[in-house]
Amino acid sequence: MTLKEQLKQVIVEGINLEEVRPEEIADDAPLFGEGLGLDSLDAVELVVLLQKHFGIEIKDMEEGREAFRSINSLAAFVEERRRG
Amino acid sequence: MTPAAPVAVTGIGCICAAGGDLDAAMAALAAGSRAPHPPTRFDTGHPTRYPVFEIPAGFVPQDILDKHDLFLTTRFALAATRMSLADAGWDAPALRRLRVGVCLGTTVGCSMDIEGFYRQYRSGAHPGLETIERFLRSNPAAVVSRELGLDGPVQTVVNACSSGTDAIGIAASWIRAGACDVALAGGADELCRIIYNGFISLMITDEQPCRPFDRGRRGLNLGEGAAVLVLEGPAFAKARGARTRARVLGYGSACDAHHLTAPHPQGRGLRRAFAEALAAAGVAPPDVAFINAHGTGTPDNDRVEGQVLHDLFPHTPFVSTKGYTGHTLGAAGAIEAAFTVACLEAGSIPAGVGFAEADPDIPGAPPVAHLAVRGNVAISDSLAFGGNNAVLVFGCPEP
Amino acid sequence: MRTAIRGIGVVGGFGTGVEALRGAVAGGRAVTSSSPETAGGSRETRRADTAALEAFVDRRALRRMDHISRLAILGACLALRDAGIDRPDERTGVALATGYGPTGTTFGFLDSFIDGGDPCSSPTLFSSSVHNAPAANLASVLGVTGPNLTVSQFEVSASSALFTALLWLDAGRVDRVLVGGVDEYGEVLGYCWERFFGAADASGCRPLDTRRQTALPGEGCAFLLLERTTGVPGGVGVIESVQMGRVGATAPQIPSDRLLILGADGHRRCAGGYLQLVPPGSVVTSFGHLWGSFPTATAFDAAAGAVLLQSGKTFAPPPGLEGSGPWRVPAAGEPLPAAGIGLLRVSSGGEYALTLMSLA
Repeated sequence: MTLKEQLKQVIVEGINLEEVRPEEIADDAPLFGEGLGLDSLDAVELVVLLQKHFGIEIKDMEEGREAFRSINSLAAFVEERRRG
Repeated sequence: MTPAAPVAVTGIGCICAAGGDLDAAMAALAAGSRAPHPPTRFDTGHPTRYPVFEIPAGFVPQDILDKHDLFLTTRFALAATRMSLADAGWDAPALRRLRVGVCLGTTVGCSMDIEGFYRQYRSGAHPGLETIERFLRSNPAAVVSRELGLDGPVQTVVNACSSGTDAIGIAASWIRAGACDVALAGGADELCRIIYNGFISLMITDEQPCRPFDRGRRGLNLGEGAAVLVLEGPAFAKARGARTRARVLGYGSACDAHHLTAPHPQGRGLRRAFAEALAAAGVAPPDVAFINAHGTGTPDNDRVEGQVLHDLFPHTPFVSTKGYTGHTLGAAGAIEAAFTVACLEAGSIPAGVGFAEADPDIPGAPPVAHLAVRGNVAISDSLAFGGNNAVLVFGCPEP
Repeated sequence: MRTAIRGIGVVGGFGTGVEALRGAVAGGRAVTSSSPETAGGSRETRRADTAALEAFVDRRALRRMDHISRLAILGACLALRDAGIDRPDERTGVALATGYGPTGTTFGFLDSFIDGGDPCSSPTLFSSSVHNAPAANLASVLGVTGPNLTVSQFEVSASSALFTALLWLDAGRVDRVLVGGVDEYGEVLGYCWERFFGAADASGCRPLDTRRQTALPGEGCAFLLLERTTGVPGGVGVIESVQMGRVGATAPQIPSDRLLILGADGHRRCAGGYLQLVPPGSVVTSFGHLWGSFPTATAFDAAAGAVLLQSGKTFAPPPGLEGSGPWRVPAAGEPLPAAGIGLLRVSSGGEYALTLMSLA
């Protein structure tokens, strides 16, 4: 499974989205606001999911803001963090 | 809407990290002093040790502290109640001849957050039910009523962070309606590991001592404590020769109906709660000497609340005392009501501890030093998870 | 100034909606389901199903809502529909009672950090675990912006909520209140039942049998939509008053000219309180066998009272009348007393609440 597929899986399983399948999430679709329609509570849940599944710590939401824009930006963020 | 009849506050008991009683806490506020530190009563697995405002064991009378069959929250409530009755000149036997209501707010006091029991249950160890029995015995309002042998309405308000404010407002309505002769109203909550984990997970806690309304604020610090106000009808209080410390002039509450954790961006519910409270009190913003704000120190709360305060009360000083006590959840509205009365009596408000630089997104700012205020009316407001907003208007006693 | 019951919304082990309630009260049947989660547990449990919620609210709006919040939202929707109200106006308040709060989510939150460590605590589960989450969620989904209150003191919770709701209406704070109670069942509760009471009594729930422990766990939500009104058309139920106090302090005035619906639900410990308060020869009944035992079941008794007032007669008595206290339990079809109904709930802690209801 690619990193992007993995991220979609984590989001669908960890955040209550009614009837959205991972493959339905476009790589460049906005996650927050329109698109998937996640909100501020989902954002902090996503921080915990990244900690749990990828071991990545996000100390404040400013770090997360740019990364959380889409699956593309999230994957780039995870890869960058993994590189150290 | 015709103004509501005022209700007399004849006694106050308060216990928080700032002091073991109201006078001690007010002295700490006047000195601008505070000492939050990482929790000592429990361990956590977080890499960061977030500061909290713990109450030293010595603040609670030993006979109350020894009631280990009750939650600590409930013991705090008993301690604050005892102080409030002494302040009001009431003893339990005298109260038992009357109808006395008890209305207290809490979060932890009603929670089945029993980690030790649950861990054992999950592991298949078939734990005994002592913890559950303790939970069943610890309902704060029920316990206060039971311990004092009181007869009258009993209510435990679980409206999250506005519980204490709501409890006092509701109890005042009981007095006005003649549902009881005296009401003990307030709130209590204790620091606990589960709540600590919860607020950290929401990313609204500050690693530093909190900075309400400051440009660099990063979130709240949790605290614990309790406060109880003794409420009576003014004529009743006068007839028994009681000293009235203040009057509850009005109460308002409303729901944002917006989101579970974020306040309404324009503070819709808060504005409505203010409108109701002011109308009930028969006062207008220029009459208000100061406001004890909710001011948790989170980016969202302080921004929204600050804007509302500026729009409705452009010339009224405000301060958050959570810089001195932490966010005491169900107790917050009650502790802050106690401070509001004490500040009204003193004619001054403390410095906004933790505030150093104004936020350009917030039109107003708390004082950086102890500030004298003028006027006979003061307000305390609270905003809660779930979008509850509650406002109390207090007035000086009648001359 | 009268407080009229404009709408009833109920969801419980007997079904969903006021028609299901009428059927249950009339026929005395109960929908049951066992509780397989409890190892060795043999108790029937009155479980409530929230499938009907989808007819009222879009699924996406419910995506983070747990079972107890769904119960509360469904109960509120049913009460509003029963009252013929599409959208509640701004002068509508919410006063909701819960005995145990969101226990499922509370333990789910504990699971999140017990399993993953403290840094893996779930913020979504935490924020939904607070006792006022159901009331906040219902306000959010239905757009109810008036005063919003959640109260919790075990068996007198629902009466306490009603007490404050009446004061709100009397003071003119709001024109309407959605007032009710909600509690959910879960496996930890099931475990506690087994430990406290041992195996279930094979004779089933006998709510008025004061000699035995026959209570069964239940869950559900019951809402009344109350309205302050000067003119109440005949045939509409009215809540007159709620009195709260301590058994043994001053005795409540138990009316002798009303049908008393006792909150007795088969718990022997509370039965003592009813024996103490309710004089021999009083006319009583109970519905504890229909909804099961949970702290806010009094809200269901109030809904049943409203239904009885409208019908003007008594319905099926509860099972197990031999061994019921020194009271008279009317058979089905007797005319209701003209003075109306009293609901009496006694807590194991020695508090009582007495609610008086009658027909306008």
